[in-house]
Amino acid sequence: MIWLNAAAWMAAAAAAAPVVVHWLVHRRAARLLFPTLRFLLPTRLAAVRRRALDDLPLLAIRVSILILAAAAFAGPLLVSGRRRGEWNARLVRETASPSGTRSLAESVDAAVVRLEAAPPARRELVIAAPLVLGSVTAADLAAVPPDVGIRFERTGELPAERTLTERPLATASGPRSIAPTLTGAQTSAAERAGGAPVSLPLDVHASPQAKAVVNAAIAAVLSGRVWTPGTGRRLRLVVADGGRVVTPGDAERIRVPWMADAVAAIARDRDVRDASARIAAGVDRPPPWRVVARAGDGRAAAMAAARGDALAIVSAAPPADLFTPVLVRAAVEAIAPASDWPRAEILPIPDAQLRAWERTPAPIAAPRVDRIDRDDRRWLWAAVLVLLALEQYLRRSRVRDAEETEVARVA
Amino acid sequence: MNQEPRTQNREPGTGNRKPAEILSSIADLELVARIVVEGLVSGLHRSPFHGYSAEFSQYRHYRTGDDLKYVDWKLAARTGRVYTKQFRETTNMAAAIVVDASGSMDFGDGLTKFRYASIVTAALAHLIAGQGDAVGLLARDVFLPARTGGQHLRRLHAALSSLKPAGTWHPADAIRRAADRMNRRGLLVVLSDFYEDDEAAFAELRRARRSGHEVVVFQIVSRAEIEFPYARDLEVADLETGRTIAVNGALARRGYRDAIAAFLERCRARAGADAVEYSLVVTDTPPERTLRTFLLSRGR
Repeated sequence: MIWLNAAAWMAAAAAAAPVVVHWLVHRRAARLLFPTLRFLLPTRLAAVRRRALDDLPLLAIRVSILILAAAAFAGPLLVSGRRRGEWNARLVRETASPSGTRSLAESVDAAVVRLEAAPPARRELVIAAPLVLGSVTAADLAAVPPDVGIRFERTGELPAERTLTERPLATASGPRSIAPTLTGAQTSAAERAGGAPVSLPLDVHASPQAKAVVNAAIAAVLSGRVWTPGTGRRLRLVVADGGRVVTPGDAERIRVPWMADAVAAIARDRDVRDASARIAAGVDRPPPWRVVARAGDGRAAAMAAARGDALAIVSAAPPADLFTPVLVRAAVEAIAPASDWPRAEILPIPDAQLRAWERTPAPIAAPRVDRIDRDDRRWLWAAVLVLLALEQYLRRSRVRDAEETEVARVA
Repeated sequence: MNQEPRTQNREPGTGNRKPAEILSSIADLELVARIVVEGLVSGLHRSPFHGYSAEFSQYRHYRTGDDLKYVDWKLAARTGRVYTKQFRETTNMAAAIVVDASGSMDFGDGLTKFRYASIVTAALAHLIAGQGDAVGLLARDVFLPARTGGQHLRRLHAALSSLKPAGTWHPADAIRRAADRMNRRGLLVVLSDFYEDDEAAFAELRRARRSGHEVVVFQIVSRAEIEFPYARDLEVADLETGRTIAVNGALARRGYRDAIAAFLERCRARAGADAVEYSLVVTDTPPERTLRTFLLSRGR
């Protein structure tokens, strides 16, 4: 048994109303000792109230009426095998296809919403599209409820070409925009100068003498063209001065994914490792500082930690050492990695992958209460009507009997 | 004419209390009877009760030894023969007073119906005994046969004082018992509200009347019983049975008034049909006025 509106059971408290009414009336009525009752006809109202407790069958009927009404408002649904079979015999199917303004992933989301609003039935999502690689992913399908079946239909043709929106390049001569176009197995990129000026999100902390050396290193990096990083990514480079390494005191453990990826990328950089190995002596720093590159003595030649919204990298090498431009280049590339154009090539999702994603609609275990189109409350209302008629009959017969008795007694 | 002076029967320090309330507060029933009767007899010119004195039976011829005072000399002068008058019996009047001491009589504002009936009974007994007639009492399990004398009267007053109204009452049994115990024709006085078994009660009164008794009925009710002056929801409990019903006073009043008025009228009509002297007494009427009205009606 499922209750579609279980909160309505609160109304069952009204079942106490007849008893409470009697109790209040009983309290309110003053007791009068009188010589005889033979001339007193019980007044209808008082008699009815009185009978609420005297006449237990009538009281039971009234309480039953209130409880049944509350149960009807609560919306009972008896989940029988027959009803479950009726639900499972139905199949609600929604098709997701990309449209002019909506991607396939967005269409899948919309179809799932429509399926969620469907009455109890087995549900199936049909994804009808050219099924280009990347048009739908496992992450998109993870949002589909597990009892909803998934089926793929290849429709239409694969697109002839795809144009990507790429970040601008930072160069020594200024920014340059890149527009790659993928056509079949061919990929072309149109490059042009200009566009909004860009600057590397890189702060350098060093002595004036060392800073000049570091700026030269940055210029050398820019001459090699690097991608500008996405918004929200900043780099803070601290360079040792005269053998003294100063680490910022407000450093924190790295918890942001892009910072962790960047530190890993720097640590993997072969040039960085070669250059750091040539440094004679490094430094030791406790966490949250992590070693990015080790010096010849095994201690840290470069360390990284989070500092606010920026990734802080401290170099223990002399500023003029080759390690400095290598570290700057690796750090800039680490926070702004190059796009993976081959993954955007126009290729169909392999059939094996599609079969792995496909599944059949699951039978209904417990329907969503807000999607029940027809419950069993009508039977309860019918019972309420029957009991109301019975109550009316009993009440009238009791009043009639009482009046006849009193009239006979008075006569 | 009927209005009693408001200061009558009033004692010092009683303030604005009604005479009936004063009488109610006096515990000594004999004293109450005296007060009522003394305020009563001054207005009466002759005895209201007619006893059965020497009752003429027949003439017979004079025999030697007959008392000469019973010789009818006028008849002897007219006929030339001497006859002696014979009498059947020479008695005083015998009265039996039946008082309803059931629970329904324990009702009234200040002066209950039973107390009222006791006062009237005591005063009647005082009056009857005062003129040398016999008076008896039957009230629930108290039965005093009709006798004369001051000692008997005091016993009657004491018995009345000891009674507490409670329980139910079977008026027909009580009336029959009282009438049967009077071995000669007498006066039967019944004081009750007649709420219980009134049909049988009036049948017994009719039977007593046909047996030659003079029957007087005081039907005693309170003002509240006539008017039912209650307006709110009530749990009305029967004083005798304890049974309760819930009524709304305002809604029940009209039907109640009609019903009790019909009942009282029916009692009056039955009494009239059986030549029973009937008085409807409301307890807010001073007892002495009730008695005065009754005695004056008998004197006419």
